[in-house]
Amino acid sequence: MDARRDQMESKRRENGNNQQEHGQDEPLKGTFASVLMLGAFIAVSWIGVFLLFLNRS
Amino acid sequence: MHIHRLEKLWIIIGTAMLVVFLVAIGIGAYAMGNHPPGHTSSIKLDPEKVYETPPFDNPGLEKIGENEYNAYIVAYIYGYNPGNIEIPVGATVHFYVTSADVVHGFNIPGTIVNMMAIPGEVNEMTYTFDEPAEYLLLCNEYCGIGHEYMATTITVKG
Repeated sequence: MDARRDQMESKRRENGNNQQEHGQDEPLKGTFASVLMLGAFIAVSWIGVFLLFLNRS
Repeated sequence: MHIHRLEKLWIIIGTAMLVVFLVAIGIGAYAMGNHPPGHTSSIKLDPEKVYETPPFDNPGLEKIGENEYNAYIVAYIYGYNPGNIEIPVGATVHFYVTSADVVHGFNIPGTIVNMMAIPGEVNEMTYTFDEPAEYLLLCNEYCGIGHEYMATTITVKG
């Protein structure tokens, strides 16, 4: 993972747009975690309601 | 277009979830016959002539198979015609429900039977009663001053 990131970093430096790319890259980890949490909540709710429906039918 | 690796990942996860949900609902609808109540009924009726229109001119149970019944039920303020239905355990009942006056509810708590009784429309729902018990049938659409008294029982005998 780290090796890949380093590789990407150096590539960006070569491209000369390190500042811009770096600004977009890192903060997405938090966003990703939130998206996963929201996704898990939706999945659990959906499965719960579906099981309730199957149980009662 | 540059899409971030994590963005790609959550797009894939989200899309996969949608596909799973839709496939489950599709299998339920097409292979298991799970339809929401209220699909267009073959029975058409004039809301002012409910009790003159067959089959609601003679509401009640009609035996159509070994342990299978059609139940033609008219909801009115504040009750169901007929009330106090009795069926044997394991019976599959096809409910056909309409209203003689205003919009009512048709709900058997603890089961998936939950639909509206609408004047001029016939709602259908099929349910198999596997447990011997007294099931409550109640109105869950506010229909007037006596709404809270609008309930009856379906007795499933073992």
